[in-house]
Formats: sequence, structure tokens, C-alpha cells
Amino acid sequence: MARLELQQVCKGYDRPILDRLSLTVEEGEFFVIVGPSGIGKTTLLRCIAGLEVVDAGRVIFGGKDVTRVPPYRRNAAMTFESYALYPHMTVFENIASPLRARRMDEASVRKAVLEVARLLRIEPLLDRRPHEVSGGQKQRTALGRTLVAKPDVYLLDEPISHLDAKIRHELRRQFHTLQELRRVATVYVTHDYAEALSLGDRIGVMGDGGLVQVGSSRDVFERPNSIFVARHLGQPSINEVPCRLSSDGGLLMLRSLEGNLSFAMNGMQRALLEKARSDVLVGIRPQHIHVANAGSAAQVDNARVEAFEALGATGVLIAETDGVSLTVLTSPEEDFEPGQPVRLGFDVEQFLYFDAVHGRNLQA
Amino acid sequence: MSQSNYRLIKTLLLIFLGIWLVFTLFPLYFMIITSLKPVEEINRMIPTFWPHTLKLSNYAGIFADPGSLKSLADSVIVSVANTALSLLLGTLAGYALARWIRGAAGENLAFWILSNRMFPPVAVIIPMFFLFDSMPWGTDSYFSLIVLYLVFNLPLATWLMMVFFRDAPRELEEAAYLDGFTPLRAFFRVTLPLVFPGMISVAMLCWIFAWNEYLFANLLTGTTVKTFPVHIPTFTLGSQSLWNLIMAFSLVAMLPPVILFIILRRYMVRGLSLGVVKG
Repeated sequence: MARLELQQVCKGYDRPILDRLSLTVEEGEFFVIVGPSGIGKTTLLRCIAGLEVVDAGRVIFGGKDVTRVPPYRRNAAMTFESYALYPHMTVFENIASPLRARRMDEASVRKAVLEVARLLRIEPLLDRRPHEVSGGQKQRTALGRTLVAKPDVYLLDEPISHLDAKIRHELRRQFHTLQELRRVATVYVTHDYAEALSLGDRIGVMGDGGLVQVGSSRDVFERPNSIFVARHLGQPSINEVPCRLSSDGGLLMLRSLEGNLSFAMNGMQRALLEKARSDVLVGIRPQHIHVANAGSAAQVDNARVEAFEALGATGVLIAETDGVSLTVLTSPEEDFEPGQPVRLGFDVEQFLYFDAVHGRNLQA
Repeated sequence: MSQSNYRLIKTLLLIFLGIWLVFTLFPLYFMIITSLKPVEEINRMIPTFWPHTLKLSNYAGIFADPGSLKSLADSVIVSVANTALSLLLGTLAGYALARWIRGAAGENLAFWILSNRMFPPVAVIIPMFFLFDSMPWGTDSYFSLIVLYLVFNLPLATWLMMVFFRDAPRELEEAAYLDGFTPLRAFFRVTLPLVFPGMISVAMLCWIFAWNEYLFANLLTGTTVKTFPVHIPTFTLGSQSLWNLIMAFSLVAMLPPVILFIILRRYMVRGLSLGVVKG
């Protein structure tokens, strides 16, 4: 039982991947790292596990510096994206593996493995080989192997991304209820933002070189510190409208560079936007645009439907207005035909403003 | 394709396979009948393809001859010892090359090892003779043949094992490290079982080479140690070759490889396709 600390960790191959990355995961904390593929999430896990030796910086488990300690003495458990189950051993032996490494006696091994198997509901499969069980069951076996080890640090690399939606949902719920995971420091890597928002006590969004933003689900989703983070969280993705500030008869207006969108700004936003002094990138989440009924107030009344997808629980409407394409979240009961005119309303209060050059959030 | 065309092609294929079968099996058939004929029938100008008399006395002669039996025993000693050494050293070297010696150095080293296998044996046979002659164990000993065959088998074993180890997923070994196994324990617990079918193939290839080798055995040994290929030419009477005994003895010597292949066939095929189909 321990907290995990990374101090100024650097790791690179032909190019730098982790650049002075620091992170603390408390005992009992479920920390989710989310980021696009190929950004170095797995490399980070491998550095924590000891499979990669860091180029600089320190890795600390429970106050003990393990930077130079080989993986088999670190007491970290990791699930691999490929599951990495031993094909020549049964599910039972796969789960028992960490206990075999400690030369635990047979009775204790059996007891521990059965306990974990019951928890993960794979008891009937214990005598099978990995190639005889389904993807979800393989994943649970891999998870069982890490749970049985009772490590100081859990490392989970995309544990449920290759499973079909139904099993993914079930396993995601299981992660919430696994008390084992609530007693140690867990680092969970995923590229799926919904998984991250659902599971993480805290979330770290990874970009080039390291963590771009760390915070609670609410923090990173509602107050992204850069356009990179905003872009990566949320499906469908955030609308990005480059705008220019202008004064119109004493009223501060934001006008889009392309097309003909404009929004009136209130005082608070004015203070904020004055910091930018130039163009701003306005981020509008699809749920903050709505289709306005006839008669109600709308900022845009000349939009046309480009495409509409009804996705069961929601509908996604792509609307075009004066050359600006906007994604709008609607209710699935409504139906739209391509070419149909629509009126759009905006929740201006919910807009996010980013520096047009660096992408920083101007409110942060 | 119409039904009749399909049948025609199938028939042609069967005819072709039949001819091929006769072509490949005839030598074996001729060996068997020759080993069962008396000398007089063998020496006829027009050989009999369906022997008039069959007798097992040639085999009885082989098994009653201490020289023949000793040569088979010598072959077993040399080939088994050589195979064991090739496999042991080749597996360790192949693992080192596959996992621990990285980059161009590893590639070049591996190729250099294999290149030892590429020169024609005749080119080195004279220097080898003088080299072994100057050694304390001399030329005519088990040890000299066992070591000499390593020159040919070890590069092959090393190279093949290296390829098998490369194809074994590294992540499984890493998973074993995280389970708490040291690299040595992880090697025996996870990696070695994965390449086991490959090891069987390598063992078979090494063993068959050592079992059948004639050139070096003939030059280096012959008195104290005499493997069966060297023993075969001794079945002569003056200027006459005793073909019945030669064939009977050769067939006896063929049995061990055939039996082993039948037993280990399952692993052989899996080993040879290890790089193709990843599991």
C-alpha cells in the first residue's frame, strides 16, 4: 500500500516522449491517463513498471526510490493491452503466476486464485487455456493476475478498449466496484475520454512530452486549460470557431473570421478577452448549441442542415451557416433533412475561449 | 468451373501424384528387396524387380556382427552428444542474440555465426585433420567428432533458435518480470516453453546431420571410433561389394531417424511454422 510519485521523469528514443513529467498518485486513488494514441501513455506505464529505464528523473513507490530497481523487485502489477497471457498455461496458472514467483504454498495459491476468480466471475474457466476463452474473459484473467499479486501500484494499459461495447460497459462497472483497486495507487491508461471521465478520481490528459492538464473529470471537461484538452475530451468533438474582437457602437462583439457569426459579450467576458488583445479561438461544445423553435430567440437564423445522425440516445446535427460548419447535439426524436433551414441558439455563457496562437484557455 | 473439368483436373493430379510416388519410393523398395535377396540373385545382369527368393539371413548377419553393432553404437554416442551440446549452446546463444544483444552488433554477430555454416566442408577438411591431430585427444576419438560436428550444427541451431526467440512475444516475458520472476526464472517458465516445438525441430536437424555425416568421420576416425556411414564401405569381399549386407545395414541405420520423425512430426511441423503463424 503506497503512493506513487514521479519526479521530473524523462524518457525518449529517437525523439523525446516524456519530458520532465511529474505526477503523484495517492494511495487509493484511481488516476486515469487519457490521450491520443502514440503519445507515450504506454511508455509512461512501462517506466513506472520498470520495463523501461528512465533517462532522467525519479520513480518513487511509497517513499522508496525504485528508479534503478528492476521490474521483478518493484511490486507493481500491470495489465498489457495485448493481455499477455501465457498461452501454455491454464487460466488458473495464469492467475497464480505472481504467487508462484513468490513460491507460495499450494493451498494458499488455490485459495487466493479462487477468491479472485469468484470476484471476476471466471471460476468455470480456470481449467481452460487462454485461446479457449473470449476476449472479455481473457481481459478478466489478465486483471485477475494483477489483482492476486496485491501490489503497491496497479498499472492498467487500455484494459477494456478492445472489447465489444456490452462487455466494455460491464467491465467498466466492475472497475467501479473492485475494492482492491481502491486501496492502492492505480494508473489507468486509455484513449477513450468517456472511460476516463467515468472512472478517474483524477484525470491526466497527455499531450506531447507529458501531462497537459491534471484534474477531476469536471475540471478537465468543463475547464480545459488548452484547446488540445478540449478537443480530446467529448464526443462529438468541440466546435472551433476562430473569431476577432470588435467594438460595435460601444458593444463588444465577437465576429467569426469566416462566415458571419457574431456574439455580443458581457462585461466579465470583456475583461477576459482583453487579455487576448488579438484573435481568439472560440470553443463551443455541441451540447451548447440548440435548435431554436420558431419564434424563440436565436442568434443564427440562416443555417442549413448538412447531415443528421440519430444515435439512439442523442442526435448529431451538422449545420452550415455562411461557410461555418457547426456540430449540434439534438434530441433523437427530431428529424432533419439535408438542406432544411434551421435556426440555432447558443449558450454564450458556456463558451470556452482560447488563445488563437498557443491554444491556451484564456479563462485559466 | 464445371463439374467434369474439376474431375478431370483431379484425375490428372492423382495420376501425377502416383508417378511421383513411384519415383520417390522405388529406391526404398529396391533397397528393401536387395536386402532380402541372396548375393547370386543381386549379381545378375538384369536385376529382378520381383525377387525369386527372399531370406532374412542378411539381417541376421548384421546383428551377429560385433563391428556393425559397435558402429551403430558409436553413431548413437556421437550424434546424441553432439545434438545435446548443439541444442544447449544454440538455445542460450540464440536467446542472447534475440533479446540482449541489440542493434547492428547483434545482426552482424548472428550473420557471422551463420556464415560458418556456408563454406564448403571440403575446404577445411585438411586443416581440420592437422588441427585435431595436434590435440591431446587426437583425431580418432568420440570427442573429436562431437566437437567437429558442432562447427556445422551450432551455427544452424543458434540461428534458428534466435529466430524462434524473436517470434516469441517479448510482452510475455515482461509480464513474467512483473509477476516477480527474475529474468532466469522467466526464461524457463515462459520463454522456453514457447519455443519448445522449435527446439524439437532444431534437435532433429542437428541429429540427422550428425547421424549421417560421412566425409569428416571417414577422414578423422575409423579405428577406435567408427560411425555407421564409415562402416558401410567395409562390406566387401575382395573386389566384390556385398550389396545385400550393405542394404540390410543401411535399412537398419535408417530406422532410428524414421521412427523419431514419426514420433516428433507434430512438433517438427509446428516448429518449422513457428515464425509463420503466431499464436
